[in-house]
Amino acid sequence: MAPQTRKAAIVGGNRIPFARSNSAYAQASNQDMLTATLDGLVARFGLQGRRVGEVVAGAVLKHSRDFNLTREAVLGSRLSAATPAYDVQQACGTGLEAAVLVANKIALGQIESGIAGGVDTTSDAPLAVGDDLRRALISLNNAKTVGDRLKALARIRPGSLVPEIPRNAEPRTGLAMGEHQAITAREWEISREAQDELTVRSHQNLAAAYERGFFDDLVTPYLGLTRDENLRPDTSVEKLAKLKPAFGGETGTMTAGNSTPLSDGASAVLLASDEWAAEHGLPVLAHLVDAQTAAVDYVHGGEGLLMAPAYAVPVLLARNGLTLQDFDYYEIHEAFASTVLATLKAWEDPAFCKERLGLDTPVGAVDRSKLNVNGSSLAAGHPFAATGGRIVASLAKQLHEAGPGKRGLISICAAGGQGVVAILES
Amino acid sequence: MARTVLEAAPSMPALFARAAVTARGRGGDLPDTRLARTGVRVEAADLAAYDRVCAFPLADTLPATYPHMLTFPLQLALMSDRSFPLALPGLVHVRNRVEVLRPVRADEALDLEVWAERFARHPRGATVDLCASVSAGGGEVWRSRSTYLARGARAPEGAPDSDLSVSVGDLARPAATWRVPHDAGRRYARVSGDVNPIHLSGLTAKAFGFKRAIAHGMWAKARALAALSGRLPDAMVVDVVFRKPLFLPSTVTLATAPVDGGWDLAVRNEKSGADHLLGTVRPLP
Repeated sequence: MAPQTRKAAIVGGNRIPFARSNSAYAQASNQDMLTATLDGLVARFGLQGRRVGEVVAGAVLKHSRDFNLTREAVLGSRLSAATPAYDVQQACGTGLEAAVLVANKIALGQIESGIAGGVDTTSDAPLAVGDDLRRALISLNNAKTVGDRLKALARIRPGSLVPEIPRNAEPRTGLAMGEHQAITAREWEISREAQDELTVRSHQNLAAAYERGFFDDLVTPYLGLTRDENLRPDTSVEKLAKLKPAFGGETGTMTAGNSTPLSDGASAVLLASDEWAAEHGLPVLAHLVDAQTAAVDYVHGGEGLLMAPAYAVPVLLARNGLTLQDFDYYEIHEAFASTVLATLKAWEDPAFCKERLGLDTPVGAVDRSKLNVNGSSLAAGHPFAATGGRIVASLAKQLHEAGPGKRGLISICAAGGQGVVAILES
Repeated sequence: MARTVLEAAPSMPALFARAAVTARGRGGDLPDTRLARTGVRVEAADLAAYDRVCAFPLADTLPATYPHMLTFPLQLALMSDRSFPLALPGLVHVRNRVEVLRPVRADEALDLEVWAERFARHPRGATVDLCASVSAGGGEVWRSRSTYLARGARAPEGAPDSDLSVSVGDLARPAATWRVPHDAGRRYARVSGDVNPIHLSGLTAKAFGFKRAIAHGMWAKARALAALSGRLPDAMVVDVVFRKPLFLPSTVTLATAPVDGGWDLAVRNEKSGADHLLGTVRPLP
């Protein structure tokens, strides 16, 4: 039994450039992308043929045949085949949750090293047969007599043959995520201009990070892509202002520009104990200090679908004796520009903080110059489960560059009204 | 030596047709012709389709067997030409040796050259080697040697004995079972262009003396290498012999054993245990 816990080190990361849907990675499966990403990490840190403690990853859109996606990717990678692996899925929180799970086992001394990752494709989507056809086919398979078989076949109508396409919608509300967020944007009176400005900054920051070589040891080219395909370094508030609303009707403020596009990609992060990193001559960029999840009742409880991080962060701050202002960098996942802005506004709002969070004083404001300094999902794209790994590796490197004792906050919202947040420290 | 540089890949259905109608009356020694193409680019969609049929992961380095997709049409052009002494119908692929001198990236411009050599005596006829060399950035990166058997043919006077010996260790334990479907030949033909009728359907195979369609040997080799993805040396020689035809459909087993930093492997019929493919993978220094 480990007498005390230790903080897991983030050694580094690897991802493939994120592609727009049905583009550069149209032919790539989740397993292809995750395997390529793991192999890139293996090459970067000399892990060929080595066994790491555990590989934890997942995909949000996953075919049923990929039930053991991560283990299969490990078996096809250059890691030792004796490396255990398992899948997790917490919608867009998957990648960060995977990192937390690996870090916790390292903290408890159960493993010395581990890889956390995530992958998603919206191109090679797992189409399913419709429920009528599925039931008819099961009956057909179970039928013992010719008569039963014919009866089962007779239930199949031409309309049954249309496949079910995975939708970016909440099963309980039937609303697309963007429609949910449009409600939140309206409630919090988030302006179109503010959203477009945040979007432009995301593109500019990501482009600048590429220009200064920040991603040279974080990204490995794949299938001809060397940079995130969605990145528009030359975008501007004027250009974005021309776009028509995509969510929230004609008076909506959310467009295809200030919302993340459907994307394909994968990411992976190497975590370890300090001792393991030292033994292998590998750097420690930062430590994962603590993490927290939260969930909100967006169905009947009157809260916004993507507002759970607003609840998770104050709990995390209180447990660690910190205030929101005690951070050098903030990584708030840009599912939509308005998600970031609504979250920031909620933390500054005395009524929200009092009534919803039970706090006497508001959580307060974030210094915007410390927010998403190397760009975020609006520019990079957002292959759901891959976003957590992208953020963890980038933030860890940013903290390491800034020097020892620097602190960063990660906040990721997820479908189902959930949120995953974490603190990193260099 | 005559070296001809082709501007584009030749049409393989046309070559198969030409080889069939000009099959009779062939003889003599091997031509010393070399066929070449320069600056060849791999089409991403072609590679993806090949990877899917052979179960390779979609990656930025070419599978060890992929350059054969580019060199085989040239070899077919050589074999279907009237100057080639053996008739293509009836030729059986009995051995294939591939050397990956270094990993080849999918975006490299490749120079290809193919030729025939080693007309050799075999107890049941004669064999000939169709060779290929692939270069990139000025250096050779890949080469291969495909040995074909012509039953009943006679090698010229003084020809050497053919060498079909690839020895593997004890491979008692199957690593995997594959159900090879009835259309495996057509699926591989679509991605490789190898539309040899013996692979396409039972009817067309019967016309050439096979009871059913048979799987492409190079598919079985590729599928076996795909099963070892992530476990192969960067530079290696993969040498396999093709034994009993793999009739479609079939259930076969793959057996593997780590040997000398590489692998021994066997693809066998699940029921009869007959060897379809025996091979070795060894790292190159």
